[in-house]
Amino acid sequence: MKDSVVIKVQSNPKYLSLVRSVTAKMGELYGLSESTTEDIKLAVDEACSNVIKHAYGGDTHQSILVKYRMTKKGFEVLIEDNGIKVQPESIEGRSLNDIRPGGLGVHLIKRAFDFYQFDQRKRRGNRLRLVSFKK
Amino acid sequence: MEIEIKDYQGMKVMILSGEIDMYSSPTLREKMMDLIDNRVTPLFVDFKGVSYIDSSGIATFVEGFKRMMSYGGRLKLIGLLEMVREIFAFSKLDKVFEIYGTFEDALIR
Repeated sequence: MKDSVVIKVQSNPKYLSLVRSVTAKMGELYGLSESTTEDIKLAVDEACSNVIKHAYGGDTHQSILVKYRMTKKGFEVLIEDNGIKVQPESIEGRSLNDIRPGGLGVHLIKRAFDFYQFDQRKRRGNRLRLVSFKK
Repeated sequence: MEIEIKDYQGMKVMILSGEIDMYSSPTLREKMMDLIDNRVTPLFVDFKGVSYIDSSGIATFVEGFKRMMSYGGRLKLIGLLEMVREIFAFSKLDKVFEIYGTFEDALIR
């Protein structure tokens, strides 16, 4: 079995704290620094929130799969859903100089991860691949 | 997250504790907008017990701040822990919001 951890949670915001706890623990287990782990925890939370909002349109009875693994490249997180196909350009963040509610989540994800890409090979739903390269 | 609203010499203080995320921010928004709809000013928000905030929490404060601006209200954020302050700074909101270390500082300025 590959060195990885997979969790599957209902698309209900009440489970985001669970995702954060697991993410923080994975960062600790893989030896990431405390500040990197904090940033990654927030980024994974934001990505799952985006799934609930955009892919599932607020439906809290769907599922989100989060897979963590350490590869040669670094710490990788895959986030999968079976919701509406997200057009990556549609969730681009706002300019940070534009002070208004919303549009910050993507910036927080990209701040934590060096690699951010939706896997277009997934036929139904979305698979977001995030990698924080080894420094 | 827990939200307590106290009166201090006729002014309103929201005392927050726990984590502000997509799950808890709708409750926070409701309570804050109740105060703002009554044109409360200044509104003090005590962050000392807040260990985590995500973009939905930030959005709630941006919305509240903008609504308060419409009537000349002042939103004063107090005692942000490092993680929380850092998110405000990353969002460039530390230059927009009034942020104070202590309630006493917020009171005299």
